[in-house]
Amino acid sequence: MRSPLRARSARILASAGLVGALLLPAAGPASAADPVVLRVGVTQTLDSVNPYGTALVVGYEVFGLTYDLLVGFGSDAEPAPGFADKWERAADGKSWTFHIRKGMTWSDGTPATSADACFSYQINLDAIAAGENVGLGYIDPSVAAAGVTKAECPDAETMILTSSDPSERILQNYVPILPKHIWGDKTYKQIGEATFDAPQVGSGPYQLVEWKTGEYVKFERNKSYWGKQGAADQVIIQFFGSADTLVQALKAGEIDYARGATAAQFDALKTEPNIVTVAGEANGWTQLGFNTYGTGTGKTIPKGGPSTKALQDAAFRDALGYAIDKDELLKRIHLGYGVVGTTPVPPVLSQFHTDPNDIRTFDLAVADQKLTAAGYVKDASGARLDKEGKAISLTLVFPNDDDTYAKAAQFIQGWFKEIGIKVTPVPYESGALVDVMLPPEADPTKTADYDMFIWGWSGSPDPSILLEIFTCAAIGGSSDSLYCDTKYDDMYAKQNTLGVTERKVVLDELQQYWYDQAPYHILYYDANLHAYRTDKFAGWQNQPKSGTPLFAYGTENYTLLTLASEASPSPEASAAPSAGSSAGSSAAPATPAPTGSGGGSSTSSDNTLLLVGVVVVVAVVVVGLVLSRRRRGSAEEDDE
Amino acid sequence: MGGTYLLRRLVQATLTILGIVVLNFFLFRMMPGSPERILLRNPHLTQATVDAARARWGLDEPVPVQLVKYLAATAQGDLGYSFQYRGQPVGEVIGNRMWPTIILVGIAEVIAIIFGLALGAYSGWKRGGNVDKVGNGVSLVLYSMPYFVIGMPLIIIFAAELGWFPTSGMLTPGATYASPMDQLLDFLHHLVLPLLTVSLGLIGGYSILMRSAIIETRTEDYVTTAKAKGLSENRIVRHHAFPNALLPTVTIIAINLGYVVAGVLTAEIIFNWPGLGTLTYQALSVRDFPVLQGVFLILSIAVVMANLGADLLYGVLDPRVRT
Amino acid sequence: MSAATTAKAPTGVWTLRARGFREFARKFARRSDGVLGFVILVFFTIMAIAPQLFVGALESAITASGDGLGPPSMTHILGTDELGRDMLNLTIHGARVSMVIGLLATVITVVVGAVIGIVSGFVGGLTDSSLMRLTDFFLVLPTFVLAIILAPIILDMIGVDAEVAGLRATLVVIVIVIGITSWASTARIIRSQTLSVKERMFVDRARVIGSGNGHIMIKHVLPNVMNLIVANTVLVFAGAVFTETTLAFIGLGDPFLPSWGQLLYAAEAAGAPGLGAWWLIAPPAICVVLVILGFTLMGNALDDILNPKSGVRR
Repeated sequence: MRSPLRARSARILASAGLVGALLLPAAGPASAADPVVLRVGVTQTLDSVNPYGTALVVGYEVFGLTYDLLVGFGSDAEPAPGFADKWERAADGKSWTFHIRKGMTWSDGTPATSADACFSYQINLDAIAAGENVGLGYIDPSVAAAGVTKAECPDAETMILTSSDPSERILQNYVPILPKHIWGDKTYKQIGEATFDAPQVGSGPYQLVEWKTGEYVKFERNKSYWGKQGAADQVIIQFFGSADTLVQALKAGEIDYARGATAAQFDALKTEPNIVTVAGEANGWTQLGFNTYGTGTGKTIPKGGPSTKALQDAAFRDALGYAIDKDELLKRIHLGYGVVGTTPVPPVLSQFHTDPNDIRTFDLAVADQKLTAAGYVKDASGARLDKEGKAISLTLVFPNDDDTYAKAAQFIQGWFKEIGIKVTPVPYESGALVDVMLPPEADPTKTADYDMFIWGWSGSPDPSILLEIFTCAAIGGSSDSLYCDTKYDDMYAKQNTLGVTERKVVLDELQQYWYDQAPYHILYYDANLHAYRTDKFAGWQNQPKSGTPLFAYGTENYTLLTLASEASPSPEASAAPSAGSSAGSSAAPATPAPTGSGGGSSTSSDNTLLLVGVVVVVAVVVVGLVLSRRRRGSAEEDDE
Repeated sequence: MGGTYLLRRLVQATLTILGIVVLNFFLFRMMPGSPERILLRNPHLTQATVDAARARWGLDEPVPVQLVKYLAATAQGDLGYSFQYRGQPVGEVIGNRMWPTIILVGIAEVIAIIFGLALGAYSGWKRGGNVDKVGNGVSLVLYSMPYFVIGMPLIIIFAAELGWFPTSGMLTPGATYASPMDQLLDFLHHLVLPLLTVSLGLIGGYSILMRSAIIETRTEDYVTTAKAKGLSENRIVRHHAFPNALLPTVTIIAINLGYVVAGVLTAEIIFNWPGLGTLTYQALSVRDFPVLQGVFLILSIAVVMANLGADLLYGVLDPRVRT
Repeated sequence: MSAATTAKAPTGVWTLRARGFREFARKFARRSDGVLGFVILVFFTIMAIAPQLFVGALESAITASGDGLGPPSMTHILGTDELGRDMLNLTIHGARVSMVIGLLATVITVVVGAVIGIVSGFVGGLTDSSLMRLTDFFLVLPTFVLAIILAPIILDMIGVDAEVAGLRATLVVIVIVIGITSWASTARIIRSQTLSVKERMFVDRARVIGSGNGHIMIKHVLPNVMNLIVANTVLVFAGAVFTETTLAFIGLGDPFLPSWGQLLYAAEAAGAPGLGAWWLIAPPAICVVLVILGFTLMGNALDDILNPKSGVRR
């Protein structure tokens, strides 16, 4: 007599056989006459498809594909034709005239004219006039910083922006040109909060057609784009939870471009066939910051603030700088990728960065000497005392979402121990850390109870953005060093109002002063570690030359891609080099892209739901069968 | 009589859900770091921007007022808008992420129940036999392994080294498929490793549970009586031992169902599975209150309903318990 | 211990216990699974008590002894991590961290759970229902959310420099969080047992004599619930290590005093699975599984021996 359990197991195995069949590697997504898709992977998750509502790099990349900027970025991040193909500053320096390209249409066919540009700028001007921001407030401040006070469009091909700002910041605004015929009736407030649902209508090279929250965004080629047609018919930017899964996907060919590998993965990718790695210079840095609260103001925070007055002393901070081996940090934590840090103007902004004189070296003996000379002596047990006679013990806080911070903290703890300073590193959940670092100026209940911290900033084409965080006015806002120094504030204000050459002079002075004062020690300018495959797409170009192909400035490089299968990868002259030349950029499309997608492009979510429902039903049926057989069996044999 | 009992339990359940929802509402707002400051790490950050964001999200009102507004809206089915995915309705945000978790957990539970109960029953009945020795040992080991400890080696071996399965994700990014069958196959291909991980994680516990339940019932009087009467072993198992062992097992499984979703978080992380677990984790780190409230609402409904279901099932399976 | 022995007069309870202990030890030795668990735990406890005796001080970034991501070799038996720290060193020190966190969390869980369980079960009435409501409340608290909320508060209270049993302040937070979210299930279990003990006759006898509640609970209820508490403690320990590992894997660990969970988190963050650096994953993973398994085996064995259900078939 067969044991019922054995019989049941047999039935189970039969259903498992179904499962077995499914273990065969899938047929995978299908075959010929498919659209050419460029798949890009990032480790950020897109927060919004509203250009004014995103705080992330990936968000800027996303809206940069759908919408043109007034002035784009060329191969070396110099101003290049965008919505406007020519521009010039008026002789009296009080305005700029932008010539809007003729014959452009929006992706829905409506003609694109200067009215759209004026409208797009007016949104920002309205907000500025009202003393408010559009959306999250990342874009309109740059319009204000460029001194724009008025936008006028005398005819369909001309826009005049009134601005007396002597710099050329006006050419670096990230204001997206929105179609007036769709958004014209909305106020800046409404636009700031609008959802910008797909499909979007823009004049950029690829139009947003789908946003699957937390998963990916999908773009379709804009057939009426005024510029080059890239090889890709579709672009998909997919969000990954970790660098590990991202890099795996790149290696497996599931994506063509990966933004953000760890140093070790980056090295490992170098030996992979068909993969090119790019270590782009980053516009941003990682810093060891000090809580200098009270400097210049004499204010203190009861039960909070820095634990010693030493932190307010530039000589103290300067001396500590000799106890940090930045080269070692780069080598051990980032395997050498990145650039040793100096001033708050990253070197990638080559027209503004200046190395300071007397860059600090790593020398513990010098650090010890300088500390003693500044009045911070060691006691008998080797502990360093501040001028109040208290042993210096510094808390070092950092967010726990980036393991390189913890590593840097470990090194710093070790080095400072050698010079007699106790460091207590405290990792915080990043949201909680924001709270811990707030001063009473931001919220009367907060106490800024920390001494040092490790975090990072990333910048934009104009250096002022990041220099602002050290001003007195930024305390309670973006300042985390809580630094306040009128001399710095004056220099900052001054350089903000000057033309390029005079500005450089002031910036040199400011950078030197900042370096000596050291509210931060900038550890390094992080490298952007990207990698891409060369077996599907060719024509990858870095922007700027020391940067990366994608996630740089503007999205022109998407249009420069060609199919790898096509023999000639001529590095096409990327966008016309300088202002004033009209880029005859209506090149013939790179490939006769088979635009007919095989009909299966109905929202994949609907299909997934359906299929999933089927699978669940099948599973339930299987279970039901198995269990019911048992019950039926016993009924037959029941004779109790 | 059955009717009032059911009604009473439903009212109890609703009150419990309400209690949990209110509790979580307060808990989230007790977390350090406010959403507007976290989501806006902006060098231009001015007090005005921060205040505007706070007002927009209704956070400038006193918490009890926020609570009342929230409850009123939720009762009407309006779960609000996500802070993080600005302007997207919470229902949509959660809806997108709910199915992947339900499928993963649902199928894993089914597999774990089938195999786990079968293994446990057999092991318990033939206690000390070979199947028991091996099966129980394996179950105990699996029971001691958190999901990610099971999953990470699977990824290394089967995905990274052998390349049989994809390393992450639910579908090949944004692919278009020639037919629904292709999409289904792609999905299933991605599902194998995560499913295996979660199933293995659950099987151990269920097997152990069922085994000890069977062992207990084995020695019950009615089983000894049945044996004395000469009933065949398999009839005893099927008709007496198994159903009675099923009782406590089912109860625990049902209760477990509610918590498994949170438990599956680590599995979702290592596989980049776009489910509720990773959504919750992300939403927590940026303090996206509406999304968090929505997720915990669903979870508490699931837990409470599962408990209720377990109790009712108990009543059905064991006539002694019915009131 | 059978009901027969305890039904005698309560004098010489401790003598009875000594005799009972020998009998217990004999029974335990016959349980191969329990013995295996015990051996595993002894092994790890020895490692945990004084890791520096075996491998020296915990290696930090500055004192790292090897090259980054070195596979196992003669000088580094378990290889090195991405900063060059010896994995054997990290893993053995991790034993101390994981076990101490587990131990402290278990103490909190069992003490609080037992006290509330006994009081609730014994006193009954309004106290019982309010305590049970409280227990339910704690049962539904989400662990991760609680950890985020409590961390700054606890750090503030004890100071970031604090060190408890060699654990840094951030880990003390984890201990407290695990304790808070675990005591509720222990309380329930103890309460059920207390309820059944309550029924037994000698308790009524003692009451007739006029003993107070507290006296009865300590002198009579507690010894009879003790077996369950002991078995439960071991299983709670297993759960605490499990929970701590998971919490650390989600990022709540301390990179400066890594537990096994923290080591696994670091491995994932460094991309170990994709890089094939299995030696970053295997040692902490195997240790975690062994310890949890050990506690579970021992806990099950203890449970069977101390709380015999009908029909001991051995």
